[in-house]
Amino acid sequence: MTEMVTWTCTGCALLCEDIQVSISDNRIEHVENACMKGKARVFGCKEQAVPTIHGDKADIDDVIKDAARILRDAKNPLLYGWSNSTNEAHIAGIELARTLGGIIDSTSSFCQGITVNEILSGSVPSCTLEEVREKADVIVFWGADPMSSHPRHMSKYSYFPRGELRQRGYEEDRTAISIDVWQSRTAKICKNGFHRIPPGKDAEFMRGLIEALSGRVPKLSFDYDVKRILELAATLKKAEFGVLFAGLGLIYSIKEDITLLSEFTAALNQFSHYSLIPMAGHFNMRGFNHTLHEKTGHIYRVKFVDGKAISGVEYSVIEQMKRNADAVLVVGSDPLASLPGSISKRLKDIPLILIDPCMNLTSRVADVTIPCSTSGIEAGGTAVRMDGKTMDIHALVQGNNMSDEKIIERIIEEVG
Amino acid sequence: MTNIMEIYQLLPKTNCKECGESTCMAFAVALLSGTRRFTECPPLVKEGKYIDSKQKLEKILKPIEGAEETGLIIHEELCSGCGNCVVACPVDVANDPHGSGRGTGPTNDKVIFKVVDGKVKAANVKECRRFGKDKILCRACIDPCPTEAIEFV
Amino acid sequence: MALDVSKFIKAPEYGITIVTYRDVFQSSVCDEDRNGKECERLSAVIVLDATEMKRMGIQDGVNVRLTSKCGSIVVRAVSSPREEQKGIGFMVNSPWSNALVYDETTDGIPEFKNIKVKIKVTNEEIMSHRELFPL
Repeated sequence: MTEMVTWTCTGCALLCEDIQVSISDNRIEHVENACMKGKARVFGCKEQAVPTIHGDKADIDDVIKDAARILRDAKNPLLYGWSNSTNEAHIAGIELARTLGGIIDSTSSFCQGITVNEILSGSVPSCTLEEVREKADVIVFWGADPMSSHPRHMSKYSYFPRGELRQRGYEEDRTAISIDVWQSRTAKICKNGFHRIPPGKDAEFMRGLIEALSGRVPKLSFDYDVKRILELAATLKKAEFGVLFAGLGLIYSIKEDITLLSEFTAALNQFSHYSLIPMAGHFNMRGFNHTLHEKTGHIYRVKFVDGKAISGVEYSVIEQMKRNADAVLVVGSDPLASLPGSISKRLKDIPLILIDPCMNLTSRVADVTIPCSTSGIEAGGTAVRMDGKTMDIHALVQGNNMSDEKIIERIIEEVG
Repeated sequence: MTNIMEIYQLLPKTNCKECGESTCMAFAVALLSGTRRFTECPPLVKEGKYIDSKQKLEKILKPIEGAEETGLIIHEELCSGCGNCVVACPVDVANDPHGSGRGTGPTNDKVIFKVVDGKVKAANVKECRRFGKDKILCRACIDPCPTEAIEFV
Repeated sequence: MALDVSKFIKAPEYGITIVTYRDVFQSSVCDEDRNGKECERLSAVIVLDATEMKRMGIQDGVNVRLTSKCGSIVVRAVSSPREEQKGIGFMVNSPWSNALVYDETTDGIPEFKNIKVKIKVTNEEIMSHRELFPL
């Protein structure tokens, strides 16, 4: 018998909650309303992980014991990944780090973590995606291309839908702006609202806009039509409810100057109402920041010393993997594919435990692999959407593996 | 996008009338509108010298044969399932204001666009503003598409 | 027998900056099958401005070697359908682009979107996942 289930998608940090899935005999048949990323998430990976020790198949209890042994023997264990795990798995992970006196960090360390920090510390105002849908009239995508990273972003929230205050449709009621180094798919939709700037010049362009907002003519070191930047400032000023979606293109470019985000939003808010939302990628990247913040006061890069949490750049995944870490537990991530190549090479030389539903590039160098269920498909819990809203996620089908949360709890028991 | 001359150039251009049309150009028009199949041209099928033309025609006409009555073609391989067309289509907004019109998945069967298994599918095409006697050249689903996956022929 | 002189002439090298981006088609394919051929085909590519390619003597679709201060890879060069800014190449974020990323940072965030490389035409084959990370 086929059953239709309403599901919250864990394909990306939009966490679309209107997905319809047809299930028959514990098998997913079709998925409606999900984009191709969501579809890929629902139907899962081709090559599923199996429990192994040094590449040889092993019993699940033995791999958990071996993982615990590796972590216990390490002086500087690093627990890393977390953006594909539920908040509940994060709680278990933080507990494991505390028990080990180890280091815990997530992919947000070199992604949108610094942006989330600006929001959680109260420096930058934010809002929910529902508010964007109901009210936003000026929408800025800066260094962000949701049409390539979060396919339903514009149709579900930021541009196309009719909202409470935006009843006449996007062409009349909303203005979309793209500031980017090339004409992305999103920029194409923004048409004349596209502003092309040279790579690395985001901070300068932002300062130029702050000047233009207060009526001064900005001087830029690169060739740019001053009239267009003044027009852009005028458009931004006229907004009733503006929102800035900060992509990695912007964040990487201004990372040494991140307080500029609060300067810019403050300048905009002298004339209008503006909020900022980080374009978090993986479904629960932001959840890790929130959970850790709640537990320790820090959003990432934490080391536990005598049960006390300290944070600093020296505890970032990049620094740790490069030098100090003498054992790594990776949860739901593929560092070999996503970190700089030189770091990936070092991962071959240190004991590595991988908890993941799928085989990935890191599986090839992992000393221990522990298969887990896919969060939001075979296991439920809670997760934090890109705008900071906590969402319930539910299992769709029964899987063969334990959840990452359960596996980590088992490791804690073994280590304890 | 396929044009009429492109199709005509691949036909025998002998105006033999074996297909029942008065000229090869008329047959080309019928092919483009999807009312005739290229296999209905006897010389093209039978004579070896047209083999290259036949293969080319087969390739360019394939999407047209799959087109809806309004001429709507969805290139599934280009579709990312973003749903921009679902929400931007004025018919979808009118027929499902609290679902498609608000950005969520359709809440009834009266809509034209729906995303299934990550790709957009069309239904109720007679509702499309390009159909019927008061038809207009609406582009509401084409312009918001980020990947040029939708076209009309 | 005619002598193929071209192989004795060193291909000229040019300095460019690589900016990485995301692509929904590539990311979906790679999420489904990280080790697959299709993931490799969609990832091991650099997109360049057509006139820039002409200037550098790079034909559309040929292989190029990209060398940064910490890595070197072979990918396919493809011309952009639009006019792009000069001196920039675009690569989808993948193990190939990451192989070129330098890991020294002051803030824990490597320059994933600002990679200085030398580019030159090559007859070498595109590197597979396994060649990127030999065990």
